[in-house]
Amino acid sequence: MRRKLLIGLTIVLLIGVTMWLIPAQAQQPAPPPSWKQGQPAGMAESMLAPIAQPPAPKAPGEIPVDKIKVPPGFKVELWAHGINNARAMTWGDKGTLFVSSRVAGNVYAIVDKSGTREVKTIAKGLNLPNGVAFKDGTLYVAEIHRITKMAGIEDKLDAPPQMEVVYETLPKDAPHGWKYLAFGPDGKLYFNIGAPCNICLPPDTHANISRINPDGSGFEYWAHGVRNSVGFDWHPVTKELYFSMHARDWLGEDVPSDRFDHAPKKGMHFGFPFCHQGDIPDPEFGKGRACGEFAAPLIKTGPHVAGNGVMFYTGSMFPAEYQNRVFLAQRGSWNRTQKLGFRVMMVTLRPNDVPKYEPFAEGWLQGQEIWGRPVYTSQMKDGSLLISDDYAGAIYRVSYQK
Amino acid sequence: MSHVARTGGYKRGASRPPFSKTIKAVLIAAVALSGARVDAADVEAGRRKSAPCASCHGADGNATIPGTPSLAAQPTYFTHWQLIKFRDGRRKDAQMSPFAVNLTDEDMGDLAAFYAAQPARARDSVVDPSRAAAGRELVDRHHCSSCHTPTLAGQQQVPRLAGQDLQYLLKLLRGFKAKTASDLDGTMTMAAQPLTPEEVDSLAHYLASLPAP
Repeated sequence: MRRKLLIGLTIVLLIGVTMWLIPAQAQQPAPPPSWKQGQPAGMAESMLAPIAQPPAPKAPGEIPVDKIKVPPGFKVELWAHGINNARAMTWGDKGTLFVSSRVAGNVYAIVDKSGTREVKTIAKGLNLPNGVAFKDGTLYVAEIHRITKMAGIEDKLDAPPQMEVVYETLPKDAPHGWKYLAFGPDGKLYFNIGAPCNICLPPDTHANISRINPDGSGFEYWAHGVRNSVGFDWHPVTKELYFSMHARDWLGEDVPSDRFDHAPKKGMHFGFPFCHQGDIPDPEFGKGRACGEFAAPLIKTGPHVAGNGVMFYTGSMFPAEYQNRVFLAQRGSWNRTQKLGFRVMMVTLRPNDVPKYEPFAEGWLQGQEIWGRPVYTSQMKDGSLLISDDYAGAIYRVSYQK
Repeated sequence: MSHVARTGGYKRGASRPPFSKTIKAVLIAAVALSGARVDAADVEAGRRKSAPCASCHGADGNATIPGTPSLAAQPTYFTHWQLIKFRDGRRKDAQMSPFAVNLTDEDMGDLAAFYAAQPARARDSVVDPSRAAAGRELVDRHHCSSCHTPTLAGQQQVPRLAGQDLQYLLKLLRGFKAKTASDLDGTMTMAAQPLTPEEVDSLAHYLASLPAP
């Protein structure tokens, strides 16, 4: 009897404890928004947060192009404006410049009509359509969850065709879900699938650069451990892939550095989330791993600078030393009290030596105030350079005269 | 002028200060300042252009119809981005969508400036006090103030929640939970996922119970 009572009491007690534990579990804090995730307790008072995207492009009078400083002999002009959230650029065969956006959800076509640029919105309401690539008369667009195409688009700019789905077996995660899209020298379409977080152990399907055939077949991963790369290009001679990578936030003002990387072969791992900038183990995910396991960065490009567009210069307008030089557009920091980036850097690869890394265009940041954010570059037929600015909704043209 | 988002940095789990007169005064000053920053012509143009909106949203952006949001004292970026989304079809509403279709970018800027400059008044939402009480701590646990600010007055592209209409808050929060509401960058859809249906309701009741800043 006594034993039964004891058992009964134990059961009651167990139920009680369980009942108490369940609501306690429900009281667990929910995850913070992804930009705030990974913020250490000691930084809880930080006012740092991503820079808000203005809903409208700036008027030409509000765009101080003269503040952009370039090397001697170069000249900067405002080439096009009124392109809300202008991001990646790609050229059509017939001279149309296609421009992507991110939160604006639009894809634009810019047509040069005897010196004035006409901006047409050819697709709208899309899911962060950051990636645009063009081949054989067809425009390809990468949103978060799918890649689509518009055949014969250059002849139908005023009545764009339906977007035809090329590939849609993609994660739907919004954080780092927007894509850069480009054709490799192998004719395949390359794009990033970013980590769905600031810092986390991502699923195997994330934190990579991937590729497919233009018909949507043959999906495969190219590079792993890539937190988020929204800019890459292939060396004009070696045909090898180079890319920019954004590093994690909330580890400090000066660390970790963003990266410029080289992925000459399939299957390399670039460290995320275990190791940052090639030599800083992650405080949480770096345990039991060594930075030596992963590919080291070719260049540490600076903390929080947000390197986006990567483009090898092959034009004939700029001086000879610019041949095969990389333009690296840095959209600029938010996770840093002293702003850094907001500039276009250049990288000169040198045999048997470290690459040379130096500024090309600066001035979007004045003191701690910004008036624009350079995101991508593109080369014009005449060899001049276009720079897109998603904050001002504008495109600048840089030309050179001896 | 820089458009740095003034979000972040508010201690998790810390109780929010009561809406003291000082805070109210600061908020009114902030609203006045943000209004002053906008070109005066824009606000006046926005006032004229808002005439067709008045029958639902109120002449000064303070709506009275349950389920219709108040636009008064909403941040300019917020209103502007929502109008863009209605126009391009990312956000759909049988009543609202037809109005947005023909708006120009300039119209949107003017309307957003006008509504941001209007002082907000509380709604006549019938709030359940026990639900509101349950919702209070959910605001901390779910990091609402990280983006919406500690007073839930909103900022930049992030809307004011304090004193918004109960039925509208319920509709939107349930939509985010169901992944059917339109989201500029996915943040709200993610934020709503851990909420239970009861918590969604409690949160809406609490937000509706707050005084309009």
